[in-house]
Amino acid sequence: MLQLFLIAFRNLGTHRRRTLLLGGAIASVTALLVILMGLSTGMKESMLRSATTLSTGHVNVAGFYKVTAGQAAPVVTGYPAILEQIRKDVPELDFAVQRGRGWLKVVSETSSIQVGVGGIDIQSEPGLRQVLQIRAGALDGLAEPGTVLLFEKQAKKLNVQVGESVTLAAQTLRGASNTVDARVVAIAADMGMLSDFGIFVPSETLRSLYQFKSDTAGALLLYLKDIQHVPVVQARLRQTLTDAGHTVMDHDPRAFFMKFETVNREAWTGQRLDITNWEDEISFITWTLTALNSLTGVLIFVLMVIIGVGIMNTLWIAIRERTREIGTLRAIGMQRTRVLLMFVFEALLLGLLGTLAGASAGLVLCLAVNAMAVHVPEVVAVFIMSDTLNLAVHPSSIVGAMAFITACTTAISLIPSFLAARLKPVTAMHHIG
Amino acid sequence: MNPTASQSSIVSITNVTKDYTLGKVVVPALRGVDLEVHAGEFISIAGPSGSGKTTLLNLIGCVDTATGGVVRVAGQDTKQLTERQLTNLRLNTIGFIFQSFNLVQVLSVFQNVEFPLLLQRKLDKAQRRERVMQLLEQVGLANHAKHRPNELSGGQRQRVAVARALVTRPQLVLADEPTANLDSVTGQNIIDLMKELNQKEGTTFIFSTHDAKVMSHANAVVRLADGKFLDRISAAEASRAMAAGDH
Repeated sequence: MLQLFLIAFRNLGTHRRRTLLLGGAIASVTALLVILMGLSTGMKESMLRSATTLSTGHVNVAGFYKVTAGQAAPVVTGYPAILEQIRKDVPELDFAVQRGRGWLKVVSETSSIQVGVGGIDIQSEPGLRQVLQIRAGALDGLAEPGTVLLFEKQAKKLNVQVGESVTLAAQTLRGASNTVDARVVAIAADMGMLSDFGIFVPSETLRSLYQFKSDTAGALLLYLKDIQHVPVVQARLRQTLTDAGHTVMDHDPRAFFMKFETVNREAWTGQRLDITNWEDEISFITWTLTALNSLTGVLIFVLMVIIGVGIMNTLWIAIRERTREIGTLRAIGMQRTRVLLMFVFEALLLGLLGTLAGASAGLVLCLAVNAMAVHVPEVVAVFIMSDTLNLAVHPSSIVGAMAFITACTTAISLIPSFLAARLKPVTAMHHIG
Repeated sequence: MNPTASQSSIVSITNVTKDYTLGKVVVPALRGVDLEVHAGEFISIAGPSGSGKTTLLNLIGCVDTATGGVVRVAGQDTKQLTERQLTNLRLNTIGFIFQSFNLVQVLSVFQNVEFPLLLQRKLDKAQRRERVMQLLEQVGLANHAKHRPNELSGGQRQRVAVARALVTRPQLVLADEPTANLDSVTGQNIIDLMKELNQKEGTTFIFSTHDAKVMSHANAVVRLADGKFLDRISAAEASRAMAAGDH
């Protein structure tokens, strides 16, 4: 077997130009795959980091409360008791926070915007400090009631600075209009689509605006020690909360604000809980990931077809050139399977060397891009939730890309290799050319 | 070695025919050939181009199959064997020496000779090394073990091919015009080497040739013409017949 590897290796070395051309093509596709995977993973990580800080936990226990059949509010009533039960039922829990949720109008002296609002207790939100980049003011300002955090684009549109006041206007659960004044205490850097439509105010301010009781929250955001446990925790909570007498809605993998139409159409009144995960809450933007992954798939497929034709062609040439050698080896006692292996090894080695070079180049390029903190256009930043390009390259994705491309090149080589192995020794030995 | 030394038949060919189809035309290459070769013989197959020498060697070497008749090698009817069994028969019983040497260019002299032993998987590394070096000594190429075939002369390459053919200690060695691509002196050396190994090891050699000088070393010469067995004569008779222009 070692000898077959040696023959394969030396044959690659003998036809250096051909090897370099084909190996270069394989390396290029591998590098491209590593970079695209890095981009996709980077986007996913950025989304996860941003989303799980700004608008969702790993798992969320939220819900809707309906005073009448036609009007739902995104609230969980009596949340302290539910939170206590969650703490008991979920040992995987790292920490949990309650957030208020709402939709309101922010009015300044010169302009107004419609945005979603998160009611937070800033002291119990360690994640926000790590993710939000404060451009002006201080995050701790939100500890005071009647304050608000805006994002840069919103502040610009409203034409307000830190210290200035805006008016928050919303409808209460019973349909009455209400307003509160809030002082801008912090302006944070934009974070893509999620920051375009969201502001933060203290929970107390939100309750005051909507005239909610103190035991009412918008959602309980649960952060787990290991995100892999999300499906298990989600399933368990459905069971335990149902057992505890709560009505839990069927799982609907959409963000809460996309469910109003459905919930409002339903005839029930009172409280129903909705258990979702982070992917459900940002499903309205994860299509960008799906689109990128699909694009990557199509691109890699097309390139692999080109590479495949190249490999097939090269092996055909190699087999044609070495037909007499095949005949000789068959004559001196080499079995067909070994002839097949000899050519497969050649493709395997070419694949391994090509992908190794490509993966290394891809990795270096990704690290360089990350080190340079390349700024992306605003329209891209909206989707990747970051104003800089982040290419997350993990060892597993590099090994995966290498294994995938090597497996493809090896599989493609099976056809010509099989035909080489099928050659009759006498035909092969007397081949001219 | 004298053919009478052992009367066991290593090759037995009975009424063998071989047809090739070229488009719609069927060309008969062998037309009912009978041949018996005993262990230890040093036999030459002679005949003009197109007489069927190479076809006959291919059938004996199990690299091709007969259209009709029976080919027995080492007691086995080759028609009854599967592809795998035929390959094993070639590996363990037959050695090949080709007109154009047919060495693997990317392997060294040592590796080329060692290759059949690796396919056999019977000897360990040390035993293989000993066997290969012993043969390279015998063919006078021990100092060229690390060279690649393209670094050797034609005669040296053919000696490597001889060593490769003999490394598995086959009962039968087939050589298709082994001296055709060599000058007369080198060709003579190769034949001397084959003869020496035939006498020392008792290996049966069957080789085809046009060359009367080469033929003169054979115990017997089997003459073919137009795909038919003509006669089996001594080397001296064959030389006289060639001198008289009777092919």
